[in-house]
Amino acid sequence: MAAEALSLRERARLLVQREVGRVLSPIWVPFVVALMRFGMGWRIEGLPEARRAYRKLWGGSRHGVIVCANHLTMVDSFMIAWALAPPWWYVLHYRSLQWNTPERENFARTLAMRAAIFVAKCIPVRRGGDRREVGKVLARITWLLSRGEAGLMFPEGGRSRSGRVDLMASTYGVGRIARAVPGLRVLCVYLRGEGQTTWSDFPARGERFRVRVEELEPKSDHGGLRGSLEVSRQILAKLGDMEREHFDARR
Amino acid sequence: MERKEIFEKVVKILTPHVKNQAALATVTDSTHILDDLKVNSARLVDVVLAFEDEFDIEIPDEDVDSVNTVGDCVRLVAEKLG
Repeated sequence: MAAEALSLRERARLLVQREVGRVLSPIWVPFVVALMRFGMGWRIEGLPEARRAYRKLWGGSRHGVIVCANHLTMVDSFMIAWALAPPWWYVLHYRSLQWNTPERENFARTLAMRAAIFVAKCIPVRRGGDRREVGKVLARITWLLSRGEAGLMFPEGGRSRSGRVDLMASTYGVGRIARAVPGLRVLCVYLRGEGQTTWSDFPARGERFRVRVEELEPKSDHGGLRGSLEVSRQILAKLGDMEREHFDARR
Repeated sequence: MERKEIFEKVVKILTPHVKNQAALATVTDSTHILDDLKVNSARLVDVVLAFEDEFDIEIPDEDVDSVNTVGDCVRLVAEKLG
């Protein structure tokens, strides 16, 4: 797969998208964070530790980072970005703001929504859709990460219907990307609100979240699809461990 | 291996993952695995891995992108078997 699969036109389009977002980032990044912080009244515990770990990943390295997280709501990607760095950091280090692959049905219905996600480093995908289209999206993310950008993916492939990390739901896309990009760092993120008992569209107003982060070096002796799936499962297993720690700490 | 034999084995491997069992009765090359048979997309990888085990072949990551229909599976396996 990887970068060679992308045409010059596709690469140029991604670079334009990145630059448009970067130029507008002093406006939209603080706006989105302010909306979550003050508009919705959300709070996140564990920010200093999470942000320290994320900054450390970027210090002195030009390699990309893939953030792998549990998934409970449609705004998790925004919450996770907020948890990992303050708005000014993203404005100054724009490559560290994660690319996302939101569900097309949810986020690309109207022209305004498509424009918004274009600016916000998103590449919409129809989950469970045509495999060639999904493959192209994975190739785009792979190319971006190979250029030292950050990406965010949900190894479960969608919001956890059980409300807990579903170890059986592992998709292979994360592992495929992790194996395709040399030097790629993997950061596992577990984010959950006190009132989140299951999945939903949005967290409740005033929700208090707790974030945990842990770097992982997944490995596999297998090649091809089997290797990619094994790497995905290791990442998902780590998220499962982090979930256990989350609930143990709350007993 | 005959194409018909590959087709039958492919359908047999798909069967445990099929949610729309009624569609299995009329399965053809053009039957869409996700849309018609309602196989969960996350399980498609398990299906392809089962092809690797059953036919003793290795399927690269990117070849999964070409799998949409039962016929795609048969073609992919036949190609790998040479």
